[in-house]
Amino acid sequence: MNLQEFLAMEDNFDRDELIDLRGLDFVSDYDSHLMCPICHCPFVDPVRLQCDHVFCQSCLSSAINTFRSADSDEFPCPSCRTPTREVSTSVPRLLINMCDEIRDIGLDGKCMHVLRQCPRCEEDVMEQDYEEHDKELCPVLETSCVDCETVVSRKALKEHVEACPEVIVPCAAAKHACPVKVRRADIAMHEQSCPLVTMIPYFEVQNTRLNSLELSMRHLQQRNEIFEDGLANIRSTLVESARIGASAAPSGQSANNGRDQPSTRTETNTDDPTDISSSVFSSNATTYLLSLHESLREEVEQIKHNLTDLDARASMALMNECIRMKEDMAHTNAAVNSVRMQVQWLMNPRLHGTRTGAVRANTGNETPRSPMASSSTAGSSSTTAQPLGPLRPRRPSDSGREGTKL
Amino acid sequence: MFATKRLSKELLKMKDHVPPGIEIVKSDNLEEWQMDIKVLDENPLYQNQTYRLKFMFSSKYPIEPPEVQFITCDASTGHPRTIPMHPHIYSNGIICLDLLGSAGWSPVQTVESVCMSLQSMLTANNRDERPPGDQEFITHNRRRIRDINFVYEDDNV
Repeated sequence: MNLQEFLAMEDNFDRDELIDLRGLDFVSDYDSHLMCPICHCPFVDPVRLQCDHVFCQSCLSSAINTFRSADSDEFPCPSCRTPTREVSTSVPRLLINMCDEIRDIGLDGKCMHVLRQCPRCEEDVMEQDYEEHDKELCPVLETSCVDCETVVSRKALKEHVEACPEVIVPCAAAKHACPVKVRRADIAMHEQSCPLVTMIPYFEVQNTRLNSLELSMRHLQQRNEIFEDGLANIRSTLVESARIGASAAPSGQSANNGRDQPSTRTETNTDDPTDISSSVFSSNATTYLLSLHESLREEVEQIKHNLTDLDARASMALMNECIRMKEDMAHTNAAVNSVRMQVQWLMNPRLHGTRTGAVRANTGNETPRSPMASSSTAGSSSTTAQPLGPLRPRRPSDSGREGTKL
Repeated sequence: MFATKRLSKELLKMKDHVPPGIEIVKSDNLEEWQMDIKVLDENPLYQNQTYRLKFMFSSKYPIEPPEVQFITCDASTGHPRTIPMHPHIYSNGIICLDLLGSAGWSPVQTVESVCMSLQSMLTANNRDERPPGDQEFITHNRRRIRDINFVYEDDNV
């Protein structure tokens, strides 16, 4: 077959082989003549060239793909560079047989992933893990407890460690600072005598009490924080309102701080110059300041409202005015445009008239026409201009210009 | 996969037996090898000299040629190596040889056969000179070896 057919065959070749024969490690040595010179492995699907050189099918096809010049159907043999057109799949039976023989030896080894049943525990184990399983991991294997030297099966070892009398265990009161650690067999004796063990229930009760107390303390701390925040808020508002009150007070009165101001006010109201009690004054002052603050706030609120109202109204009026102005402008624009067109229309014949006498005669006819002529008269004017064709050649834009005149 | 398999096979074979005058210096990974070659006959240009070659293999080896060049070694390593004088070897070690280019390469070649070709290329030479335009080439060439397009016009050596 020729090269094209060969490459097509390679493309169609089923590559889903279970094993890559080149990946095998061969047990026996093989003759270097049975080796593909490209991959240095024993031939896999050997093919032959005209010059009798043999290669693996896939090696040769990748070599052809790389070394064949783009448009020729020739390819130099990798070994001897003989130009080649034909690839033959028939290779001597002897060669194939010898290659197969190597492979037989190579495949003789066992697959390490095959499952094998352990005769003792009846579990399926992979070949590669079997040896370890057989010697160490099989649950039926017997093993000895490190503490009491009793021989148990691996399966039962865990249970045994839970109950082994030789295992060192801590005292039941270890949580409560009993340092004793003894063998499980002796632990009962120790616990009878250990004072800490008898105290265990008491300790437990104390612990729960402590926990609950800690919890409630945390709650209280949180509440305290909230209260403190509130207090700070109140204080800050007070200071603020005091300042406002001070600034609002008449300048003639001697008011150094907010608290003095209402007191002077009470003086003026009651005409009593002596202070009755400072605490009453201070509470009065606070309420007064707060109310003052409130009223001021309301006033500000109202002013703000008025302001937005005014703003809206102003912008509305502005907009109305704008629209009117715009309309006026449009009117003026239109008027200017129509005037311009009329002037143009009037100027046009005059311009042409200066060019040729014949045209001047024509413009003489046209000038008396009213500039307010309708579109139909414009059409007629263009038709009257038609006979003058040979004198004044019409340009394609002429009719368009006449249309825009009106 | 293809390249590593093939290279490990070549390495096994060369560890078993290497031709005279060729020695493996470094082959601990399958991407870059270093080889020492000697010229064995009485050519006065290369007598008693050893030269070091660096092979760089791509993953498509042996379908693609390896990048081969001479390299220098300081005397401090105990093995001073220089670049051999040859009309086809630039002073930075780059070799102008058709069988190392993608057109002249054949997948049948091995590291061993390349070394032997270079040995014979040195043996056959009697001109103590560098290629024409050597200085310009080594100062301006920034391309990788595989990207250089040599014109192989001199068939004498």
